[in-house]
Amino acid sequence: MDNIIEVKNVTFEYSDFDRSKTVINDFSIDIKRGSFTCILGHNGSGKSTLAKLLNGLYKPVKGDILVDGMNTKDETTEIAIKRRVGMVFQNPDNQLVASIVEEDVAFGPENLGLSPDEIRKRVDESLKSVGMYELRKSTPHHLSGGQKQRIAIAGILAMRPQCIVLDEPTAMLDPKGRKEIISTIEKLNRESGITVVLITHFMEEAENTDRAVVLNDGSIIADGTPKEIFSNIDMLKRAGLDVPQTTELLHRLKTNGVDIKTNVISIKETAQEIYSAFHLEEN
Amino acid sequence: MSKILEVKGLTHTYGGNTPFVNDAVKNVSFDIENGEIIGIIGHTGSGKSTLVQHLNGLLKPTDGNILLEGKDIWDEPKKIREVRSKVGLVFQYPEYQLFEETVYKDIAFGPKNMGLDGDEIDKRVKEIIGLVGIKEEYLERSPFDLSGGEKRRVAIAGVMAMRPKIIVFDEPVAGLDPRGRNDIVKIIKDYRDTYNATVLIISHNMEDMALLADKLVVMNKGNLEMFDTTENVFSNAGKLKSIGLNVPMITEVFFELKKMGLKVPDNILTVESAVDYLLSLKKGGVLNA
Repeated sequence: MDNIIEVKNVTFEYSDFDRSKTVINDFSIDIKRGSFTCILGHNGSGKSTLAKLLNGLYKPVKGDILVDGMNTKDETTEIAIKRRVGMVFQNPDNQLVASIVEEDVAFGPENLGLSPDEIRKRVDESLKSVGMYELRKSTPHHLSGGQKQRIAIAGILAMRPQCIVLDEPTAMLDPKGRKEIISTIEKLNRESGITVVLITHFMEEAENTDRAVVLNDGSIIADGTPKEIFSNIDMLKRAGLDVPQTTELLHRLKTNGVDIKTNVISIKETAQEIYSAFHLEEN
Repeated sequence: MSKILEVKGLTHTYGGNTPFVNDAVKNVSFDIENGEIIGIIGHTGSGKSTLVQHLNGLLKPTDGNILLEGKDIWDEPKKIREVRSKVGLVFQYPEYQLFEETVYKDIAFGPKNMGLDGDEIDKRVKEIIGLVGIKEEYLERSPFDLSGGEKRRVAIAGVMAMRPKIIVFDEPVAGLDPRGRNDIVKIIKDYRDTYNATVLIISHNMEDMALLADKLVVMNKGNLEMFDTTENVFSNAGKLKSIGLNVPMITEVFFELKKMGLKVPDNILTVESAVDYLLSLKKGGVLNA
């Protein structure tokens, strides 16, 4: 696998008048084509800034970002980069532009200057892949947050990006909406081979990804498989992350001398760990 | 303890006499004692928000009554503003409602509208920023220059400065990380303790509910499905799941252990109690099938 995105020693700072604040500090990361990467960090850790750097919405103050070999600082490739890397943001209401679902999804392809037949085809395909085809004639504001967010994703898909960056796409959704979005993204990555970068502070959402990267104060403090990351609970807490109750329970049992694995996160696996650690002891 | 709030047979119909007629809340009744923290849970569209908007008279019941300190809030419709300073509502993402030039003016807006004099307003603003953890030097800044967490605390302070007897929060910790969430949880508890107030919280986060709420109101399709102590509601995992709601993750783990044939209690709601229970087993107890 080659890299779709390469971030090389990037520094980014916000400045207004007299103050400037470094939010990304000498940061490097490679995103492999077709991979599913989760970037975890608390509010203010620099993760949203990173998201906006990845498709050139922000330009690095120092260092370079290459998307498919093209530098985001190069103005001549700006459009090519934005077509390759699509973004989905937190608030579904801020991302919808039309009053009918399918028109909203068509907005991107229309701007690409495609033929009506091609637009029709892309809109239908995109809506089907997020499970919203049946509701294509509805009005977005009558739909739930999860449904609206899936339309936002369909709008990006219709542009046929190679990579989607999602910046806390579930933060404003209820539990049902969250599940819908996570399973939609997992499916897109698995079945369509789209590279996914998911930015979140919910650890549970990293469970089925290939790689979890933990961000703190604009730098990487951990990088590994989700299981490796989840077993390091002290680091996660230091990074101000949400540690699921399951992982927390196993960790607390272990520090109290129970011989038990701590790198699991799902409810079933946790119950099994407890079952074998406690049940076998009795027999 | 005395009853501070009584909801009696509350029904609210949206779009009456139109084809879109919809009963958002149907014949809901429950009583709240002074000083309690009540959680309100339910699906999106279950009627939670419609319910709480009745508590300070933003909506008028289609049928039924809301009694505040024993008195129907609609007895004298002209005095509904008094009700609104007794029952404060903090909406979801309250930071989007900040509007004044300075933090001070924003927090003072509510008390000013209550007709309080300048000294009293000043006293209240300074007192409440201490409670929500906003530094005094921030008072002259624009609220829009603050961080997300600070903005939310200023917005909450604006409601708290009216010193409502009852304060209602709609998803107060949505979108916050653990640190921000702990800050808000502490603020809510401190407010209750300092002003002997009653708190209602709408949330989807069952783990937070387990830590905070004394009792839970469970709404489903406009009906009151359950109203009981947090422990009793969450012990009823089967029923909650049947209406599409979750129990705290930890309770779910114990639910799973039970399915595996183990005898474990139903009322494990927090990591703390789970650790205590499991470790007590280790000291010679049995976890028998």
